Amino acid sequence: MKKILYIILPILLFAGVAQAITAAEILAKVDENMNAKTTKSTSRMIVETRRATRTMSTVSYAKGNDIAYTEYTAPAREKGTKMLKIKDDLWLYDPSTDRVIQISGNMLKQSVMGSDLSYEDFMDEVELAKTYTATLQEDTVYDERSCYVLSLAAKTDNLAYSKRVIYVDKERLVPLYQELYAKSGKKLKTMRMSKVTKINQRWYPLQVVFKDELKSGNGTTMIVDEVSFDIKIPDHYFTKAMLRK
Amino acid sequence: MILKLAVRNIIGNGWRSLVNVLILSIVLIGMVWMQGLFDGWSRTARRQMQEWEFGDGHYEHKDFDKYDSFTWDKSNSKIPAELQSLIEQGKAVPILISAGVIYPQGRLTPITIKGIPHDQEILEIPTEYLRVEDQTGIILPAVIGTRMARSTHLEEGDILTMRWKDIHGAYNAYDIQITKIMDTPVPPVDDSQVWVDFTHLNEAKALQNSATHIVLKDDSDIVKNEQDFRFITIDESMQGTDALIDVKRLSGNLLFALLLFLAMIAIFDTQILAIFKRRREIGTMIALGMTKRQIVKLFTIEGCLYSVFAAVATSILGLPLFIYFGVSGYKIPQEMSNLSIAGTAEPIKCYYSPSMLLSTFILVLLITALASWMPTYRIARMKATDALLGKV
Repeated sequence: MKKILYIILPILLFAGVAQAITAAEILAKVDENMNAKTTKSTSRMIVETRRATRTMSTVSYAKGNDIAYTEYTAPAREKGTKMLKIKDDLWLYDPSTDRVIQISGNMLKQSVMGSDLSYEDFMDEVELAKTYTATLQEDTVYDERSCYVLSLAAKTDNLAYSKRVIYVDKERLVPLYQELYAKSGKKLKTMRMSKVTKINQRWYPLQVVFKDELKSGNGTTMIVDEVSFDIKIPDHYFTKAMLRK
Repeated sequence: MILKLAVRNIIGNGWRSLVNVLILSIVLIGMVWMQGLFDGWSRTARRQMQEWEFGDGHYEHKDFDKYDSFTWDKSNSKIPAELQSLIEQGKAVPILISAGVIYPQGRLTPITIKGIPHDQEILEIPTEYLRVEDQTGIILPAVIGTRMARSTHLEEGDILTMRWKDIHGAYNAYDIQITKIMDTPVPPVDDSQVWVDFTHLNEAKALQNSATHIVLKDDSDIVKNEQDFRFITIDESMQGTDALIDVKRLSGNLLFALLLFLAMIAIFDTQILAIFKRRREIGTMIALGMTKRQIVKLFTIEGCLYSVFAAVATSILGLPLFIYFGVSGYKIPQEMSNLSIAGTAEPIKCYYSPSMLLSTFILVLLITALASWMPTYRIARMKATDALLGKV
């Protein structure tokens, strides 16, 4: 009898501790994994359209969620195109015309290189714990991983997506699936994360499939080939002068 | 006496004068027709834009810049009390503008969403099709133009999703149903535009009775307290369209400037020849007491009379043409109809204003006078004795 108690008690205790984790804490852990002070990454964006599949390679440097610099390195047609985001402003450098243009108004709604991402999506990266109130839903199994299901409601009116649903890997605390909703409740976008890898002390998904649910097609796959966090990035990377270099 | 002599000389020139008059007349007919066409185009565009877009002038939000779509989502305010009163009396109509996106056949297409009351009667837009019959439903009726329908492959009855950001920056999306494809002659009301009900767009944008434009039925209803809005007259609204028409007018004018130049060369030539052939006559006139100045005047008047006779010939030969194009109009070719300029959808009725007719005639007269006077410098150098002997 004692033996059985020895076995059951730790399980019950562990279960109690595990259940004690709140939605807000899960979200904070997710943010810890997904956000860094600085990030440098080399990635590929695979755009699948009805006619063809295109792959574009980029090198990106980011400071938090507000400041980012991206340079396209392949294919030849896009090589040298650069993007700079500083808070609410976005600039694009086109090497064929040697011009820097600010992306604004209706242009922000246009697709980036034919992908399922619009320029606006680049502007809408936020820290989830700060901006959303999370509620735990019934757990689920996604991609053979046991997941928390969080329903997120925007804390303020000024967030792009007023509701999100996130499946968070229970063990690694990274999101594996995300649904983004409009105020009317219409599902607008989904993200499917995979190839979760431990990099330094954090778990990070190296592959994300973005899908604009209102658009036809199979979505856009982003594959991170190399990534490093919290490294020193010179400030001049985040200046307009960098676009013409 | 000089005028009489000049008339007699021109008639005496026979075929040569007739050819000059005919050439000048053809140029004049073309110039008048072309000017009439562009003036008619401008008038048609103005009428159509008043009927479909601007009424008798409109109030525009102070932050709105039609050339900068970045301003559109932010340029709206609650309608001021005085303008609200005009709206309630049916003397004004509010329009709310927002940037948005639709997904026809799953393709992302940026658009401009315009909200207008479904019961308005000031503009020609068929807004009765925007009435939301089922208030609990989530499908919003929408009206688009034929050009928009063609470019997006949409048909009446189609249901698609429309997405936009509300005033706080949050995405919102509704399904819309195309309830009417309107045939509007004003491209800015059609191109990339989706019209929905004003109240519903306000709700969807998290606004309350806010507008970007307020179109007046009559410009005498201008209010004193316009707050965040500024009044734009119909002349100001037409500036862009008029400028585009003027560009077209310029290319037409270049063609007629070339033809006029050729006609002037003919007159110049005739004058040179006349001076050479009439040396003895010039000598005799000087010998009889006419001053060189009077003789120069005679030759210049002779040249100018070509344009007077050409004006007469124009009114006779060109009248049927002018009447035909003034009444039946001229259908702009398809390739020009595709330009985003109002007034090209229907045949343009040429408009011949008295000021245009007079200015065209005076222009031709002045240029003819110059072309007639220039060759007469030879007369000023003539000696009467040499002229009499034909030595010049």
